[in-house]
Amino acid sequence: MNPDYHYLFKLLLIGDSGVGKSCLLLRFADDTYSESFISTIGVDFKIRTIELNGKTIKLQIWDTAGQERFRTITSSYYRGAHGIIVVYDVTDKLTFENVRQWLQEIDRFACENVNKLLVGNKSDLVAKKVVDFNTAKAFADSLQIPFLETSAKQSTNVEQAFMTMATEIKNRLTASQPTQTVDKNKVVPGSSAPISPKSGCC
Amino acid sequence: MDEHYDVIVLGTGLKECIISGLLSVDGKKVLHMDRNGYYGGESASLNMNQLWEKSHGKEKKAPETLGSSRDYNVDLIPKFILSSGLLVKMLLHTDVTRYLDFKVVDGSYVYSSGKINKVPSTDTEALTSSLVGLLDKLPLRKFFIFVQNYEENNPATHDGLNLKITTMDALFKKYGLRENIVDFIGHALALYLDDSYLQQPAHDTIMRMKLYADSLARYSKSPYIYPLYGLGELPQAFARLSAIYGGTYMLNKPIENIVFDEEKKIIKVTSEGETVTCDKIVCDPSYFPNKVQKKGKIIRSICILNGPIPSADKKFESLQIIIPQKQVKRQSDMYVGVMSSAHCVCPKGKYIAIVSATVETNEPEKELAPAYALLGPIQEKFVYISDFIEPIADGTADNVFISKSYDATSHFETTCEDVMDMYKRITGKDLVLTVHPNILKQQEEAGNQEQEEQ
Repeated sequence: MNPDYHYLFKLLLIGDSGVGKSCLLLRFADDTYSESFISTIGVDFKIRTIELNGKTIKLQIWDTAGQERFRTITSSYYRGAHGIIVVYDVTDKLTFENVRQWLQEIDRFACENVNKLLVGNKSDLVAKKVVDFNTAKAFADSLQIPFLETSAKQSTNVEQAFMTMATEIKNRLTASQPTQTVDKNKVVPGSSAPISPKSGCC
Repeated sequence: MDEHYDVIVLGTGLKECIISGLLSVDGKKVLHMDRNGYYGGESASLNMNQLWEKSHGKEKKAPETLGSSRDYNVDLIPKFILSSGLLVKMLLHTDVTRYLDFKVVDGSYVYSSGKINKVPSTDTEALTSSLVGLLDKLPLRKFFIFVQNYEENNPATHDGLNLKITTMDALFKKYGLRENIVDFIGHALALYLDDSYLQQPAHDTIMRMKLYADSLARYSKSPYIYPLYGLGELPQAFARLSAIYGGTYMLNKPIENIVFDEEKKIIKVTSEGETVTCDKIVCDPSYFPNKVQKKGKIIRSICILNGPIPSADKKFESLQIIIPQKQVKRQSDMYVGVMSSAHCVCPKGKYIAIVSATVETNEPEKELAPAYALLGPIQEKFVYISDFIEPIADGTADNVFISKSYDATSHFETTCEDVMDMYKRITGKDLVLTVHPNILKQQEEAGNQEQEEQ
């Protein structure tokens, strides 16, 4: 089987309930937006293929399925992730304070060299904003994590967020090309043929 | 926490997570809680810190020679997945395969006359294997052809027998198969734990042999597949399915009180001072000690090794050893499952061998001596003895549906049978396993792709 892309990157969205993770995903993947807060029922992952410096990159973007509400995201969710976008809500200080806990969970379960991106969503709500750009920027810089403010509603910086993440991952993978291993021995239950190799993370 | 749920599920073992997933897809409102801070319950896979704490308490630390804790994903219940078995059918039914990666187990061995022999995976291996003596090859071949051709609904394939009546013992005798061959077929192919099947109608054994053959044919090396990162990925995968369809998950939730409101026909569940209600409870046996009974004990010994086991093919990164009861004068079989870093369950260079058996004496670990003798040097060992527990009632009277413990078998068929039986009791409907439309679509696309390439 010949895949129609050069890279497949698994991206995760994590962060507190209600910060707009699913809205970001739907805006980027489907260019849609919904006002109603449905705690991510039905959204599993979305796929969008992008072009980056002549390379076709398939992004497989996973949502938490609402399991972040009581902090019961499975360790399995983090397996094989190339990049993780940590989202907080610029109008809710607590969601920014909890970013530290989400980063600890990443350290605990994700691959050590996974790429991270910090995103402050709902930047369109200027009057309600309580997390200062410079505060968040300084925090992100101290951890060497790229940072962006977005508005899924206004479609501000959403494209940039995912493109930034894809670029960071691709740079990391090409820089460490010799250590990258392709696992050809996986099988798909229900079929007999070995599946095509996909790029691994760990 | 909301106020009322259709079903509250307690314990995140594999059975509970499968049922949680199925009920959520059915549109039920499900709350799933576990007193532990991790998914999996008795069927979890633990890292080394968790495993060490479980057996040594919080005082000591695991020795550094074991390597990084997070590289370990050690199964508490060692089993392999039959490639054509019920668990695969459940994965395909729910499209939960999308959350998992699998590899084929490299081989299967059977203990015979004091040493292990590879269970043949090809015709050539079968012809040259020392498991089958020269005089046994022809009758065995005839028997295998009979099994291969047998169709339940086609009397022409029944050789004049009614396999719903004729015992397996009688069938073996009819084909002139001697005791060592019978042992091999019953334990290494039909995967029976003991010899009680011999006095049962032959049909079930034939179906099991067919399942083994189907599973072996799928990938050739062995009939088993196994998920990367250990079996603990399975309950997590089904839990995500439930969450996708609205299931709510809470961990670190001890259950203080459960009250049955006879008047309103609801059940009140209290955890950490908060009370919610539901129509039905589904749980593992540990949540209702008064509603279950003990039916024996199982010993499991998790052994960390510094290299492949000396008696098997050194290149094998995963394998099973079946020790049939008669070979070691027991009443039931003993199993060894060996895994390595190829399946992401331990650091590179380490191997994990898990021995399991039904307890038969007052000195359970001594019973494992024949298995230990096969492993070579053991760096570290974690030994657990668990009760095998079954619910006393079927749940229809009080709406509490309790799963059975995981048995000592080396596969998931009994696990899935329990799930299907529970699902029927909970919902009143049979669970009919079909292939999910998403997967049919993928298979069709894959087929089209192959057409284009030719």
